[in-house]
Amino acid sequence: MRQFDYYQPKNFAEAFELLLLPGKVVMPLAGTTDIIPMAREERIAPDVVVDIKSLPGMREIKETEDGLLIGAAVRMSELASSPLVREYAAVLAEGAATVGHVQVRNRATLGGNMCTASPAGDTFPALLVLEAEALLRSVDGERSVPVSEFFQGPRRTALKKGELLVGVMLPKLAGAQGHYAKLSRRKAADLTLVGVAALAVPAGKGYDWRLALGAVAPTPVRVPEAEKILAQGYDATAIEKAALAAHAACSPLDDIRSSAEYRREMVVNITQRVIGQVIEKLV
Amino acid sequence: MLHEITFTVNGDPYTLAVYSQQTLLKVLREKLGLTGTKIGCENGECGACTVLWDGEPVNSCLVLAVEANGHAIETVEGMSVGGELHPLQKAFIEHNAVQCGFCTPGMLMSAKSLLARNPQPTELEVREALVGNLCRCTGYVRIVDAVLDVAKNQ
Repeated sequence: MRQFDYYQPKNFAEAFELLLLPGKVVMPLAGTTDIIPMAREERIAPDVVVDIKSLPGMREIKETEDGLLIGAAVRMSELASSPLVREYAAVLAEGAATVGHVQVRNRATLGGNMCTASPAGDTFPALLVLEAEALLRSVDGERSVPVSEFFQGPRRTALKKGELLVGVMLPKLAGAQGHYAKLSRRKAADLTLVGVAALAVPAGKGYDWRLALGAVAPTPVRVPEAEKILAQGYDATAIEKAALAAHAACSPLDDIRSSAEYRREMVVNITQRVIGQVIEKLV
Repeated sequence: MLHEITFTVNGDPYTLAVYSQQTLLKVLREKLGLTGTKIGCENGECGACTVLWDGEPVNSCLVLAVEANGHAIETVEGMSVGGELHPLQKAFIEHNAVQCGFCTPGMLMSAKSLLARNPQPTELEVREALVGNLCRCTGYVRIVDAVLDVAKNQ
């Protein structure tokens, strides 16, 4: 592997100084599950890597007045097993539990997953239905961006130069029930062909529904048409209509793993299955 | 850039100089001579390089050695004590859960970590724990049987 210099700053001032080193390619790193293979294959060529795991708050899961704050360097295995995440955002714990395999989940982080911004990221549909806010920090201060705006394209995010993703804020949704499921060629250690998250949030006498798809568009996407249908009721006909709305909302690619047509068909199946799972949790 | 790191491997303390870009896998094999940990895909897919990091399985090909500063690493070399094989190693032999042997150190590490956190796993839990370890010879059945056998007899 090509040479680079590794730093492990203990505070943000030091981290931002490193991130803005003039004339250097500087990359933050967390779980290193993406950055090491990419560096080895010379798809990236950092001069400097900045390990963000020791920065304050990066590894914390914390309940606040506004919701649940998850540090960017919280690992998938921690998300999957955290009692707080399971209570407030079980759909995110389910997404995290399907990432890669045991060894990867013990290293890969939520923030790293988000900054890699693969369209197939398994935590993203959950973040979308939870309406999470991405918390970005730079020398100029902190800003928050809805996750739906954080993902801007394959491997493109709202992060600006010198800015760090420090965590996500999940609003508390009392009584909400959700589910995430995915389809891949193997049951583990494979990229997702179709990922679907659904969430039913109590509203009046019924539920507001949120539905999001992963791996079938340049970014993870919400499906408002399906959500409107389900808000009116969720009998078999409505579920089918919602799944067809998901079919219409996606724009998958043909690639080595699957044809676009197969992915689109499977969006219908997985969406129906996921909605059915959520309904089971409601009754 | 060189870093001085202090960590333990199989309980033995080491202080070493490592380069920023060196992986833990390369340092274990090339600096410490612990070649039981195998180089497979170097992509985090095959699990041949699995070691325990503070008791949890990780792919040592996907970890920078510099990050190991202050941590406890276990490799397959640490499994036998005083020449006596670990129960998992004995069970792998008894069940013929080894053919070429290349995946075995990683399988053993993942299995050891599983039994430490879940001493009585179901077959499904064993399969889930080993899902990041690929074997191209045995078909997995004998490996799963060996792990379940150790769980049953401990």
